[in-house]
Amino acid sequence: MHRDWIIAMLAVVVIGCWAGTLGAWKMREPTQSLHYLSLPTTLGAIFLAVAVLLETGWTSTTAKTFVICLVLIGTNSVGTHATARAIRVRQLGHWEPRKEDGVEFIPSKKEK
Amino acid sequence: MNIWLAAAIAVGACLFPCADLCMRGSAERRLVGLELSSILATILLVLLTVGFHRLPFIDLPLAMAIMSLGGSLVFARFLERHL
Repeated sequence: MHRDWIIAMLAVVVIGCWAGTLGAWKMREPTQSLHYLSLPTTLGAIFLAVAVLLETGWTSTTAKTFVICLVLIGTNSVGTHATARAIRVRQLGHWEPRKEDGVEFIPSKKEK
Repeated sequence: MNIWLAAAIAVGACLFPCADLCMRGSAERRLVGLELSSILATILLVLLTVGFHRLPFIDLPLAMAIMSLGGSLVFARFLERHL
C-alpha cells in the first residue's frame, strides 16, 4: 500500500516534469515558455517531497526535501519575474507600461 | 533498479529537450531553458539521492536549489542590459 502511493507520487513528478518540459519546448515565445516552469516546480517538488516522506519517514532528509520544495517554489516566482522583466526591457527598452506599447493601459486617477 | 532510479531516468530524459532549448533559438529562449534545466536537475538529484540510498547527499540538491536562483538572476540581468 505504502509502495503504491510512492509510485503514484513519483508518476505525478515525472508527468509534471515532462509536461513542463514539452510545454516550454513547444512554445514559440519565451514568455509563453516561462509559464511552463511552474509545472515541475509545483507538481514535481511537492509530490517529490511527499514521496520522500513516505519512503524515509520523518527524517532530516525529509525536512531538507521540504526545504528544497519551498526554495524551488519561492525562487521560481522570483526568477520567472526577473526573466520576464529582462525580456520586456530587451524588447521595448523600458519596464513601465506606456501608451505606445499597444497593450491595454489603465490610467491612474491622477492621469485621468 | 528501483522505482526512484526509474523516475530519475524519466526525469533525466527531460534534460534533452532542455538542451535543445538552451542551444537553439534566441537568447531569451535559452535563458528559459537554463532555468528549466536547473529545476529539473534539482529534482533529479533528489531522486538519485533516495534511489542510491545515499541520504546525506540530499545537501547537494538543496545547495543547487539555492544557488541556481543566483545564476538565473545574473543571466537575466546580463540579458537585460548588455547582450
